[in-house]
Amino acid sequence: MPNKPTLLGTVQDVQGATISVAMDKDTISGLSFIEGRGYRVGQIGSFVRIPIGFLDLYGIVSQVGAGAVPDSMIEAEPHGYRWMRIQLIGEGQRGGNFKRGVSYYPTIGDEAHLLTEQDLALIYGRADAPNYVRVGTLASAESIPALVDVDRLVTRHSAILGATGAGKSTTVAGILSHLSNTDRYPSSRIIIFDLHGEYNSALGERATLFRVNPNLEKGERPLQIPYWALQLDEFLGVTPFRDVGDTERTGLIEKINELKRASLVACPRVGVTSDTLTVDSPVPFSIHRLWYELYQFVCSTHTAQGANQGPTTEAIEADPQGNPLLGSIMGVQAPKYKPITSGGVGRIYLSGASLNIRRQIQALQSLLRDTRYDFLFRPGEWCPSPNQNNLDAQPQKDLDALIKGWVGGDKPITILDLSGVPASILMDLIGVLIRLLFDAMVWGRFLPVGARSRPLLFVLEEAHAYLNPGNKSLASQAAKRVVKEGRKYGLGAMIVSQRPSEIDSTILSQCGTMFAMRLANSNDRAHVTGTVSDNLEGLFSMLPALRTGEAIIVGEAVQLPLRAQIDAPPPNRRPDSHDPKIFDPKAVVGWNKPKANEDYSLLVQKWRSETP
Amino acid sequence: MQRTPVSSSTIAEVGYDSGSMTLEIAFHSGGTYQYFDVPESEFEGLMQASSKGQYFHANIKDNYRYGKL
Repeated sequence: MPNKPTLLGTVQDVQGATISVAMDKDTISGLSFIEGRGYRVGQIGSFVRIPIGFLDLYGIVSQVGAGAVPDSMIEAEPHGYRWMRIQLIGEGQRGGNFKRGVSYYPTIGDEAHLLTEQDLALIYGRADAPNYVRVGTLASAESIPALVDVDRLVTRHSAILGATGAGKSTTVAGILSHLSNTDRYPSSRIIIFDLHGEYNSALGERATLFRVNPNLEKGERPLQIPYWALQLDEFLGVTPFRDVGDTERTGLIEKINELKRASLVACPRVGVTSDTLTVDSPVPFSIHRLWYELYQFVCSTHTAQGANQGPTTEAIEADPQGNPLLGSIMGVQAPKYKPITSGGVGRIYLSGASLNIRRQIQALQSLLRDTRYDFLFRPGEWCPSPNQNNLDAQPQKDLDALIKGWVGGDKPITILDLSGVPASILMDLIGVLIRLLFDAMVWGRFLPVGARSRPLLFVLEEAHAYLNPGNKSLASQAAKRVVKEGRKYGLGAMIVSQRPSEIDSTILSQCGTMFAMRLANSNDRAHVTGTVSDNLEGLFSMLPALRTGEAIIVGEAVQLPLRAQIDAPPPNRRPDSHDPKIFDPKAVVGWNKPKANEDYSLLVQKWRSETP
Repeated sequence: MQRTPVSSSTIAEVGYDSGSMTLEIAFHSGGTYQYFDVPESEFEGLMQASSKGQYFHANIKDNYRYGKL
């Protein structure tokens, strides 16, 4: 029986932060009992303590056995199974606080000790500190909470990475439910970009849900993004004017500027005048009127030629009663023009407009009629509805109400459920949403509602869809801006992905804290291992063997890298991302149930109405 | 746009882009014009016409909107 029960062995070799420990003969057995509790010796990822004087150095076991023999000893001890390789990570005063980095290095003969639960509690255990939030328990010691520093978790960004089925969404939901605990953080604010509509079931009571086809009875709110708040390039990107030539682009800019200026004259808005107005200014204008007037400009016919044309020379057809067929602006019906004639009295000429955008105008017409795009082009109370008698009609509400709805609601979390957004414009819209909030928060940074005084956390789900290297989409640009510049303005990002290898490594390396869950794909693993700054390859070699819901947490928000079992929310508050059951011996589900008489009419009804 | 030289007393070169339905004509007098929303058949008709100037005046000019380059 050794008289020092925690003793593992003695330091024999020091190479920078990597040290080799020869294990004590008595401890090789693998199990050690300290104060009645059993500890496994030499577990990968477990911690060791090396006391030197009044200091304790702390390290993490990265390799055990023959491979861990120091190079210089290979000849002398070819079967050196008694070795352990340890990466030093920090130090602490005896019984005091733990700090990252080491000021002294161990020397030959220093003792390496096992960390008991009491020691671990000293390092990790500050459950009472308000800036630390519990995300789970240590995988190696269930009595010790795994704590992360909220401050650094939010402002220094984080990434949650793991294969499908590793428990990623549940982990996100677990962490967010702690962060949104209004008893501790009454002003926390979090916005989730939920691509698949998973999170409402998990965070329902703490979250306001915005979706394209809301169930208003359940308190869901309509997701509406006023097109007029978009910048020119964003706006053109979601319309058929995406690829027009330079001349046409200039013509469109002039037209939009003209409409915005007219809107500002009809309803002055504080902060912008017609002198400071640009085509990117978030000032309401009507896209329906833009379409109508572009149609008039390009597709009209006239009783006069070229330079003599004007509104009074338009050759509009009339109905049998003699009323001109003017069409309708909000009804997206074009005015009907007389066909051109080749000569004679009352000759009808083509419009002299030299913009080559007739086909794009017609495509815009069908886009404006497409109800799937109503959340963007008819955004409810933010939609100006002009008619022939009131061309400068204004929307009922301004952007303050929109932004307050998104980030200033009663509940700490806002879920933007993007599952109903047409795929062709999804990436652009994510970009627009992030950019809108970013701009609002950056310009309002010194205000009480700005993110400097009330920081905002962006949760970017399925981030590999738009953060892959070389992706030039609006979503990618906007998310990169948050990650690179957000910290100064109080904007944090939490990047969630199952394909870390498809995420730009400059983005991942900006994430101060990494929650790495089970990852089987070797590319993904290499990518994650390559972006962590700590000398922790050994720890990351565990990634394929992590249990579901287990994460290795490294980075700024944790004192020490740690392997944690994340607290799963109760079963009724989990994300709606679990796989459907094919067969369950205990239940009658999936393919295991007797086939019933099926009615597909309801399915078609749901499909047509696009509500699940 | 790629234009092909043609033999005509008024028209020097003709080009056509079927994607944007744009017909581009360079005249001997100096100007180059783009005619918009021109169907491909009109371009083919022009290229096959024995007198390109006549065909242009009869079928293209005044029937399509245009812009000067």
